[in-house]
Amino acid sequence: MRVTLTVNGRRHQADDVWEGESLLYVLRERLGLPGSKNACEQGECGSCTVRLDDVPVCSCLVAAGQAQDRDVVTVEGLADPGTGLAPVQQAFLDAGAVQCGFCTPGLLVATDDLLRHCPQPTDADIREALSGNLCRCTGYEKILDAVRLAAARSGETAGER
Amino acid sequence: MDFLRPASWQEALAAKAEYPTAVPIAGGTDLMVEINFDHRRPDALLDLNRITELREWETGRQTVRLGASVPYSRIMEHLRAELPGLAQAAHTVASPQIRNRGGVGGNLGTASPAGDAHPALLASGARIEAVSVRGTRMIDVDDFYLGVKRNALAPDELIRAVHLPKATGPQAFAKVGTRNAMVIAVCAFGLALHPDRRTVRTGIGSAAPTPVRARVAEDFLTAALADGGHWDSGRPPAPSVAAEFARLVAGAANPIDDVRGTAAYRRHALGVLARRTLGWTWQAYREQDRSPACA
Amino acid sequence: MTDTTARPRTDGGVVAPAGGAVGTARTRLEGRDKVTGAARYAADVPFDGLAHGWLVLSTVARGRITSMDTAAVLGMPGVLGVVHHGNAPRLHPAGLFGPDGQLQLLQDDRVPHVGRPVALVVARTPQQARAGAAALTVTYAQEPHDTVFRAGHPAGRPAPAAPARPDADLGDVEAEIAAAPVVVDQRYTTPEEHHSAMEPHASMARWEDGRLEVVDSNQGSFMVARVLATLFGLDQEIVRVRAEHVGGGFGSKGVGPQLVLAVMAATLLRRPVRVALTRRQVFSTTGLRPATEQRLRLASDSTGRLRAIDHATAAFTSTIQEYVERNTEASNVMYAADAIRTRTTVVPLDLPTPGWMRGPGAAAGSFALESAMDELAQAVGVDPVELRLRNEPSAGPVSGLPFSSRNLAACLREGARRFGWADRDPRPGTRREGRWLLGTGVACGSYGAGALPSTAAITARADGSYTVSVGAADIGTGARTALALVAADALGVPPESVRMRIADSRLGAAWFAGGSKGTASWSWAVTAAAADLRERLASVDRVPPDGVTGRGDTTDAIGALGKQERQSYGAQFAEVAVDTGTGEVRVRRMLGMFAAGRIVNPLTARSQLVGGMTMGLSMALHEEGARDEALGALVNSDFAGYHISAHADVPDIEADWVEDVDDSNPSGIKGVGEVGIAGTAAAIANAVWHATGVRHRALPVRLDRVLESGFPAAR
Repeated sequence: MRVTLTVNGRRHQADDVWEGESLLYVLRERLGLPGSKNACEQGECGSCTVRLDDVPVCSCLVAAGQAQDRDVVTVEGLADPGTGLAPVQQAFLDAGAVQCGFCTPGLLVATDDLLRHCPQPTDADIREALSGNLCRCTGYEKILDAVRLAAARSGETAGER
Repeated sequence: MDFLRPASWQEALAAKAEYPTAVPIAGGTDLMVEINFDHRRPDALLDLNRITELREWETGRQTVRLGASVPYSRIMEHLRAELPGLAQAAHTVASPQIRNRGGVGGNLGTASPAGDAHPALLASGARIEAVSVRGTRMIDVDDFYLGVKRNALAPDELIRAVHLPKATGPQAFAKVGTRNAMVIAVCAFGLALHPDRRTVRTGIGSAAPTPVRARVAEDFLTAALADGGHWDSGRPPAPSVAAEFARLVAGAANPIDDVRGTAAYRRHALGVLARRTLGWTWQAYREQDRSPACA
Repeated sequence: MTDTTARPRTDGGVVAPAGGAVGTARTRLEGRDKVTGAARYAADVPFDGLAHGWLVLSTVARGRITSMDTAAVLGMPGVLGVVHHGNAPRLHPAGLFGPDGQLQLLQDDRVPHVGRPVALVVARTPQQARAGAAALTVTYAQEPHDTVFRAGHPAGRPAPAAPARPDADLGDVEAEIAAAPVVVDQRYTTPEEHHSAMEPHASMARWEDGRLEVVDSNQGSFMVARVLATLFGLDQEIVRVRAEHVGGGFGSKGVGPQLVLAVMAATLLRRPVRVALTRRQVFSTTGLRPATEQRLRLASDSTGRLRAIDHATAAFTSTIQEYVERNTEASNVMYAADAIRTRTTVVPLDLPTPGWMRGPGAAAGSFALESAMDELAQAVGVDPVELRLRNEPSAGPVSGLPFSSRNLAACLREGARRFGWADRDPRPGTRREGRWLLGTGVACGSYGAGALPSTAAITARADGSYTVSVGAADIGTGARTALALVAADALGVPPESVRMRIADSRLGAAWFAGGSKGTASWSWAVTAAAADLRERLASVDRVPPDGVTGRGDTTDAIGALGKQERQSYGAQFAEVAVDTGTGEVRVRRMLGMFAAGRIVNPLTARSQLVGGMTMGLSMALHEEGARDEALGALVNSDFAGYHISAHADVPDIEADWVEDVDDSNPSGIKGVGEVGIAGTAAAIANAVWHATGVRHRALPVRLDRVLESGFPAAR
């Protein structure tokens, strides 16, 4: 079947999509967007997290056909082409929250969503929001630091306005 | 495999009648795992995402009609007052990503004993609105679970909504898992106090082939609360009553040994959860206005 | 390959002047690629005409393949071929450290365990390959199997001695135990565990102009290329292996089955083939930490001074490769005693071959030794920190060799101070907070340090930049960034002028990202190359257009090193809360103090240590591979069934280090990859005892075990 969808603001079309195929597969294997990672295929690890119509979901559990005419944002779409890295990306880099980097794309999409809805999260908010993203390298501590850093920076920016 | 994309509920019913083996997919949080793992290759997928009314709910005078695809995250956010037990259960479902997609219809459709919604649905006395081109029938949740991953739906039926009585008293849901998050329940328990009828209802998850109620425990506690005049006095039931309730809840389970815990542990933990939820709900009952809800 | 330049962190971190880069916190060189999704891992790199291979795994634990219906699969849409034992290229004996039976894939009809690759279906798309693999009918002549491990198993045999550390036989253990007033004699078990790196293993292989090119997910491209060349009977000159970005390894990413099979398929089909494993295939085919059963006997005088340590361990291996889990290493180096004896048994079973998993030997070995030390402290009535200090050795307790540096006592003292240990009430089961019982525990750990021969080259360019080429691997450790800092200091230039090229077998011989020896080994070679380059630059007026290259090779220098005891050490402290009703254990805080030599990049080193401690927490409470006895198969081979710590499980974890100067290696580096997990599980189990009064000698400390251990009256 044919699936047409918008990814990171661009219209894409994929042909000969198998009906049982996941959105993750379409992104990685058909649209040349391998930023979203395939690490468990069962929604346990969050490495494939994308925003689907503005809601973070595991793209491995969305059937490709369900993404028809919908709007998807992946890690590749977080950075503003004009201004460089998005604040969450810069914070993850600066705080040392990136190690092997495989869980990072999903964590960034989840964090970005958290800070949109809750610009000054508590530690409990952060742990809760990121509870569906497994990381085997960092021990999560630096990830918590990165989210705090991103929140603090956006707070400063807001204060200057 | 076919991918059916009905644009309306009527189209969905027609499609299900025409292709009874088509498997409905909404959040995909169970079904896509089975497809990804090659455990299941349905003849057709019936995508319900385009049917907006399945993601809506109506709050009536006495019940909430909850669309089958209302995501758990919406239940947590918007129905905490009306459906506290289910809202608590929703909060323990997997992760935010999963809660953004999954709904009660999927839990019912899969009918896995580990589904987090079941204890709350059993404890509140939900009814399932099953619809086909032949018409609509309401299935009592007590009659819905038939066996391991089997339910009472006919091949041409789809779940349109779940009707839950609005809470007339405190409700609680508790689950034990080996991790703090992203946990399949080792066991789970739901308790609802129904002061309007002066009864209690329960639901047990992950500790029997199907989700079950602990009916003997319910009857015992209902009688004990009445005999002791607790509904009027607000006095908590005696520790011996709580202990017996816990024992009967544990006895209602029929668990197995597996990776996550032994059968004996599950029974024990259910007793603990029963005693705790009784403590929490009764405390809440004492603290709220005890004037009869339906005078 | 990306060329990357070291930049100081932008959040106000210290920007060091030239010559002072080592020791300053630096953000990761490849971090930008990783946060934008631009970093390409092995399964992400596109190639023209790429075909996809899908593994077919055995479903019986022992037997022979009697037939395979390939004809039906070859007719399926998109299927290009099926590789199996009837048509696979013949392989030569090869392995990272001697011939490895695991790598002899598709060579005969024998099935040594469930989950052994028996075929590879290759198709135009991953889906078609997957469908083909699912459809391939394989029939087996099944034989009785044995997959149940226990220490007294009749197949058990003494392990071959480790080259550098034979079984210890110091003094007369039996006589000391017989004469000692206090004896602890206990058995400890640890289960099968799985690495669970987030990136599933993947490889792409293609032949191009008579050369074999591989994009891989591995921990050391040079060594992988050497094995591949030997395995397939090729000249290593024509084999190129690259692994630019690797999503974690923890020991599991040596020469993976997906790589061998991808090369076979590319050879037979003459087109590029990618084999990317699923998570379930990773669980089945890429190694594991074997289950262990250890008996510890500690004897002391009435003050806790050790008279004897007797440590006997058994672990399983497969029938096709002898892997030895060396759990007794710590008993050789941690504590002084009059008599020390260690014994290691291997039990070959019809199971997959185990392999190195973060802190191999040490993670499980320290659980037994450090739990037993806690039991001894209780038996003697001395504080567990004090007990360890009382048994601090002045030289290698068995070897008699001097320590290159040690500082474990400093870790214990500083850790105890920061953790607030002095206020601890030693009595177990007395601190209650609502439904929770609270307790604290301590344990120590160590891991062997040192450097292994490596080479490096540095080219100075006319534009003032320096390109460092070293066959290092960065599997998330931060090695790329650390080596840039080492090079900058060795050259006396700012890190911004250093470019790094790593993870390519063409860059020359280099050690693996393994054994906590990667950064130490590569740094030494980089330092040597820098010295050579400085000499060469001194003799030219200006850098010619094609640059000047200096080279380093540490083989001779390492061969000339004197014998010493070289280890990283650590002391870990944990506080836990135990739910009295359900037996749930929650870790509230952990502190690790380490003596790990010179810390090159505090930002990435701290992450390595905290990451190790977190894996230790996960080992203590969650991880357990469960096998079905009737089938011999892993029943929880996915992330829903095999639990690793999630965000909400991990509390406030702090890792820091004490000054630790090791002069035996010019870089002073000891390695931080493994020592973080050594001792963690014991610290947590000891804290659970302190909370509840019940010992847990079997990992993981599962909630049902906590309750069924008889503690306490449920409330």
